Amino acid sequence: MGYLIGKGEDAAFWAKLRQDYDIYAPKRFPKQGRFSDTDIIRYDRVESGAEIVFDEKSDYPAKEVLTPICQAILYFTEDEYRASKASQRPILLFMRPCDIHAMQHQEKIYLENGGVADLYYRRMRERVHIVLMECSEGWDTCFCVSMGTNRVEDYALAVRQTEQGLLFDVREDALKTYFAGQPAADFQPVFVEKNSVSVTVPEIADKELLLKLKEHPFWQQFNGRCESCGACTIACSTCTCFTTRDVIYGDNPAVGERRRVTSSCQVSGFDDMAGGISFRKDAASRMRYKMLHKFRDYKARFGDHHMCVGCGRCTDRCPQFISVTATLEKMAAAVAELSSASK
Amino acid sequence: MNHDINIKKLRINCFRQSKVPGEFMLQMRCPGGMIDAKYLSFVQHIAETWGDGSFHIGTRQSLDFCGIKYEDIPAVNAYIRTYIDEIENGVCQVGMEVDEHGYPTIGARNITACIGNHHCICGNINTFELARKIEPLIFPSHYHIKINIAGCPNDCNKAHLCDFGIIGTAKIDYHPERCIGCGACVRACEHGATRVLELNADGRVEKDPCCCVGCAECVKACPAGAWTRRPEPFYRVILGGRTGRQTPRTGKVFLNWASEEVVLAVIGNWHKFSAWVMDYKPEYLHGGHLIDRAGYKKFKELILDGVELNPECLVAEDIYWHETEYRSNFNVKPMRMHHHAGPSNG
Repeated sequence: MGYLIGKGEDAAFWAKLRQDYDIYAPKRFPKQGRFSDTDIIRYDRVESGAEIVFDEKSDYPAKEVLTPICQAILYFTEDEYRASKASQRPILLFMRPCDIHAMQHQEKIYLENGGVADLYYRRMRERVHIVLMECSEGWDTCFCVSMGTNRVEDYALAVRQTEQGLLFDVREDALKTYFAGQPAADFQPVFVEKNSVSVTVPEIADKELLLKLKEHPFWQQFNGRCESCGACTIACSTCTCFTTRDVIYGDNPAVGERRRVTSSCQVSGFDDMAGGISFRKDAASRMRYKMLHKFRDYKARFGDHHMCVGCGRCTDRCPQFISVTATLEKMAAAVAELSSASK
Repeated sequence: MNHDINIKKLRINCFRQSKVPGEFMLQMRCPGGMIDAKYLSFVQHIAETWGDGSFHIGTRQSLDFCGIKYEDIPAVNAYIRTYIDEIENGVCQVGMEVDEHGYPTIGARNITACIGNHHCICGNINTFELARKIEPLIFPSHYHIKINIAGCPNDCNKAHLCDFGIIGTAKIDYHPERCIGCGACVRACEHGATRVLELNADGRVEKDPCCCVGCAECVKACPAGAWTRRPEPFYRVILGGRTGRQTPRTGKVFLNWASEEVVLAVIGNWHKFSAWVMDYKPEYLHGGHLIDRAGYKKFKELILDGVELNPECLVAEDIYWHETEYRSNFNVKPMRMHHHAGPSNG
């Protein structure tokens, strides 16, 4: 059962929805792009469908809603501390299939990895009701079909933008009441069936091959190209790495807060350790680490799928035009070369 | 050859004397250095029909044609009527009379511009669109002025070496909630700008706003969008730079963080200022010398007359230029050799 929320006649609908839900969706920030007179599209709270950008891929992923770049996690006073508080209000989170899959991949890290569920992620995740933004074409950097993330079956709402307004498919019972009295319409979301790019993630048969791949000279090209800015990981739908920072209030070191701040394996110093140890000292080794994490290590640990969802935002945001799919192809060629040499 | 040619009149008509007697170089205006490529067929036609087959991109981005014979000038002027009308009136909205006699004045020189943010990743402003807004304010006028527009403080277009150099800048907002404390902006500012950023103990970036040149290198460097330009552009106006045989000098900051409205209003006063200095008798004299004759304080008074400054705008109280002294005590001379500024009865 679908509904049409007509353009220009939707004020009451959104007002009613806003009473009970916080609505987060990709929104345009005019002239806030990297270059002058370019826009940025990123997730933010919206008041109505008119603010939601449907016809462009957001520059930054939906994960920013669940795991903000910066958030206070606890406050301390002398020997006491308490966790930061969070709203209980449910969230309608407008996401494309890639972002929905990315959320599921991130859940593994935040809720299952190490046997401890992360409080801050869990309390946000519990608020989220998925609104699937229909994505039938994708863009030239997308490769969701290759990564198996183009389809989504489980959602509260699905939405399509049309000339007349927004078409909704309503799956979650609690949401049906908001659509009562709205004109019925036939709508079932369709999905991307083919991207302009397709990739095959190489199988890395054993540890011996993995070690050889790490030493393969093709990685060296990134020492000249990658500037280790980390834009790829900030834009990544699935990256989860963060650091913590203690901020002292004024001149009293006994009072302050601890913040969780996104960090990036691509930025120099990410893996510096006590004793002056640093594991990955150049851009090439950091790139290798990221690629193997996305296209081998995560799956090796959790089993069912690779971490990357093929949203292509890392390619879109890279200031040096390093394409993740091209890099993956180079990695596949290196694997093929090493495999045939060892036979 | 026996010529009787008024070369001053021809110069005002934008035909410059050649070392070959009887030949001239046409300089066509090209405000902001940007025109539709279709006009290249005009260029080719002029060069091959009346010129020597070549054309030169002038140092002020004019389209220059050498080897035009004196007797062909009327035909050339009749031909360029369309170009003048389409560029000056069509593109720049100058609203001038265009006839078969070519350019009515050389006066204000062609406004030059770098490519700006039409293309460049560093550009903060659309340079040629600004040039097209300025063109009606200074042309056609017999008063000389050289304006260079640079899209960013890198100043590839040498705003520091003309009468009015306009540099596109940006006021930058910091969004601490998006900052990952990676220090990319700090390094970018240190490497490519004025070293105004610093990471503090909380992993936040602190800025010395006083010395920020508004280049937006921090915006380009940030992986997370923690620095963004304010939507409205700002401008730094560099005053009184020049080359020349006598007193070449680099311009100095006249206005900082001026809005577009302020820049246009200031340039809109140029004609009035020049007229006052020269007692309402335009002659061939470079704009920078007019500022010298009036003195900076008088210049400031007249050029800011009626201009409502935007709240961010800063104005130089004084400017002390540093000139190349080819001849020591260049300005020390008998009183009778001193120049006069302003109405002769005033």
